[in-house]
Amino acid sequence: MEPTVGDLSDPLINHTEGQLFLHEAFKIIVEEVLCKGTDVKEKVCEWKEPEELALLLDLELREKGEQKEKLLQRVRDVAKYSVKTSHPRFFNQQFAGVDYHSLAGRFLSEALNTNLFTYEVAPVFVLMEAEVLRGLRELVGWTEGDGLFCPGGSTSNMYALNLARYRLYPEVKSQGLWSLPRLTIFTSPESHYSVKKGAAFMGFGMDNVIFVKGAVPHFVSCTSGTTVQGAFDPLDRIADVCDKHKLWLHVDAAWGGSVLFSKKHRHLMKGVNRANSVAWNPHKMLVAGLQCSVLLLKDTTNLLKKCHGANASYLFQQDKFYDVNLDIGDKSVQCSRKVDCLKLWLMWKAVGSTGLEQRVDKAFFHTRYLVEQMKKRDGFQLLREVAPVIKERMMKQGTMMVGYQPLGDRVNFFRITILSPLISQKDLDFFLDEIERLGNDV
Amino acid sequence: LSSAYSVPRFTSDPLASAFPAQPGPPRRNAWDGVPLNGSPLDDLAAESFLQRSMSMILEEAVKKATDVRQKVCEWRSPEELKELLDLELRDGGESEAQILERCRDAIRYSVKTTHPHFFNQLYAGLEPYSMVASFITDALKPSLYTYEVSPVFTLMEDAVLRKMVQIVGWEEGDGIFNAGGSMSNMYAMNLARYRDFPEIKELGNSAAARLVVFTSQECHYSISKAAALMGIGTKNVFVVPSDKRGKMIPSALEEQIKSAKSEGAVPFIVNATAGTTVLGAFDPIDEIADICEKYKLWLHVDSVMSHLFSSHRANSVAWNPHKMLMACLQCSVFLIRDKTRLLQRCHSARASYLFQQDKFYDLSYDTGDKSVQCSRKPDAFKFWLMWKALGTRELEQRVDRALAIARSVWGNISDFAWLKPLSNFYFILLPLYLQVAPVIKERMMKKGSMMVGYQPHGGKANFFRMVVISPQVSRQDMDFVLDEIHSLGMDL
Repeated sequence: MEPTVGDLSDPLINHTEGQLFLHEAFKIIVEEVLCKGTDVKEKVCEWKEPEELALLLDLELREKGEQKEKLLQRVRDVAKYSVKTSHPRFFNQQFAGVDYHSLAGRFLSEALNTNLFTYEVAPVFVLMEAEVLRGLRELVGWTEGDGLFCPGGSTSNMYALNLARYRLYPEVKSQGLWSLPRLTIFTSPESHYSVKKGAAFMGFGMDNVIFVKGAVPHFVSCTSGTTVQGAFDPLDRIADVCDKHKLWLHVDAAWGGSVLFSKKHRHLMKGVNRANSVAWNPHKMLVAGLQCSVLLLKDTTNLLKKCHGANASYLFQQDKFYDVNLDIGDKSVQCSRKVDCLKLWLMWKAVGSTGLEQRVDKAFFHTRYLVEQMKKRDGFQLLREVAPVIKERMMKQGTMMVGYQPLGDRVNFFRITILSPLISQKDLDFFLDEIERLGNDV
Repeated sequence: LSSAYSVPRFTSDPLASAFPAQPGPPRRNAWDGVPLNGSPLDDLAAESFLQRSMSMILEEAVKKATDVRQKVCEWRSPEELKELLDLELRDGGESEAQILERCRDAIRYSVKTTHPHFFNQLYAGLEPYSMVASFITDALKPSLYTYEVSPVFTLMEDAVLRKMVQIVGWEEGDGIFNAGGSMSNMYAMNLARYRDFPEIKELGNSAAARLVVFTSQECHYSISKAAALMGIGTKNVFVVPSDKRGKMIPSALEEQIKSAKSEGAVPFIVNATAGTTVLGAFDPIDEIADICEKYKLWLHVDSVMSHLFSSHRANSVAWNPHKMLMACLQCSVFLIRDKTRLLQRCHSARASYLFQQDKFYDLSYDTGDKSVQCSRKPDAFKFWLMWKALGTRELEQRVDRALAIARSVWGNISDFAWLKPLSNFYFILLPLYLQVAPVIKERMMKKGSMMVGYQPHGGKANFFRMVVISPQVSRQDMDFVLDEIHSLGMDL
């Protein structure tokens, strides 16, 4: 029965109906996404051309609503035509696999539907975020510090840029860049493109992301685990240079930060404790699920809050009945901010630091295994035109997904990202066999 | 609802896959003691855990949370809560039972923002269709930068944006879903800056003269944060006075523009607000648009709080379905009246590991370079599924109903003559003496009966701000709020 606006005594939403829909949709999610989506016998993706897919999905938004059965079918369709990023043969990006504890944490975060600007609205999560950040800082080698969760590594990098600029010239917050000398940012050509995007967005200009004579260097961003080659910059040596010239050292460890969990591999980030800031994305190598991105700071002078604070009186009243330092909203450039710490905290509690260490170690073992296998096979060289064709074939057949890209002036090459704790040697063997099979006639 | 799910078993050991074993040298099964084959997680355990946690989430975080007989919050002081939650992260893991208990605690001590008596923020209520979409998104964990990785969600976002462009009243347009209204406002500033001075992208702000922004004194603070982040500077945000209802005064805006120009500064954008955060006021968009046209300034309408009426003269609009339409956080849109791919040109960095030019499908479907983010969540899906379920008509009805309830409360408020309330559409503001509001707030939170926000305004009093946006509340809930404030504050 359609409720009328005039009938104000009853709630407009039928909760029982809504909850039943949740219940039934969840069954579909488990079956289609979690069971089938992690099954090697199923496809990684069900490729459709954009026009065809648009028709299949019936995207149009209309005046009238739809019945439950129709909506459940829509849920099924979304699952069917989406890429199964937890599939053992999904190697396309720097995230993969699934961790069921963090998944439960994600569902719970969504159900509680809150955000993190004040203790009064999110008491559990304000405290939880602080503890997770403390645990991560400890791994970096800091006993004190600050930080927060950001909507992605790109934002974390922007924060670092902003803080460095503010520390050097605090007047930039109110006066802007007009009265400042030109500031330059140093980073390697292998760094993530968010450094350049951030520079444009924040008024530095993309051209100032390389060394320019006569300008004021203020920031160095080095990378622990570059996007394309997975390389680790030599942090100690770079820190020496930064110390000498008093530059802010930021480490973009969005990918590589997780090695800090591993006693075997943390040497790759030796010197990270000398940085001023670290960006780290547990949604990558730790399988925490998008989004889970942190910015960690060595600072203990409340720089985050001073740099970003606007003291909005409708949120941060000073006469509250609890310690208002717990209202962390002014550390952020966002207002509403999602709870992203629960997924990591729950997973960490479930498997312990040791469990996470094993996960990282396993990723490295798998990589070494694959390299060993590749060396045993002849003819593993790819030409420029071949990669796109092989990619097209693998997607249309849905057997696996691996990304390719050019590097410098070199040809296209496939980048297989190995991180999921759910894959095995068989999957890696499959990758090599499949590339050969798909490219046989090319 | 708490019965066990009967679902197919999770996929069994990958070793039992369809591919036959290859002949050849024996494989290593372990490397330095770490087993290489098979998942470290027992499939049965994973299935059981997920079923039990979902049952609990539906029962405790969804069903009970919207029950008016339950508390809105279970207040604990920070020190006490830290101890109760046992937050410390250790080397060893924990059992399934322990983890479930932790989930239960997280629910118990969290504020129930979907409760009918939660009026603290500009979001409230439970929208089950958008919640289902959130769960699907979390299970699939896609990222929205390319069609190949997110085919469904790329198309969906596009469909929702087109529809919204239509609703705003533009013939053509573009847009993107963002990580919040603050970010949408930042995008507006960035695009306006780029439109007038495209060289700033490469050369930085110093390539242009001092740029200035205009906004009302009632605007959202994200405008100021945006100016700081983007190197423009908060002093270059000119604050235009508003009238006593909280609406920007157009003649004052024009004065300020002239004054800025005489200083040698370059005005480039005006931010008008449709539904201010504290007073719920609507700036006079038409008159402001006239001024913007006259001085050739970009007009951005921050409409995050309300629905999209009268924004068609704007160059850009920020709107948050996660507010009044109750889509799950986050769900924020940025719309722009442009078909020259301005978003793309302004933000692109053309990373070759994502946006290869030799792909086998139409590259215009890859949206990643429109954003300043890299990975991006498909928040449009929450809105799309909800819209499909309810239809435009029902969404309109919800907005109308919120207004009707606000009006009915306003009608009853004469019973409470000791309050001298103000009203602006969906807000009802109850002014109290400065010292009284914090005490009443403390009492309501410790009792857990409701949550209503207060803030100072104009330095004279603290106002309780009753935000009427959730269609799940009824008139009885509104009456309850007034009664409760009265009874909690009776002795003050």
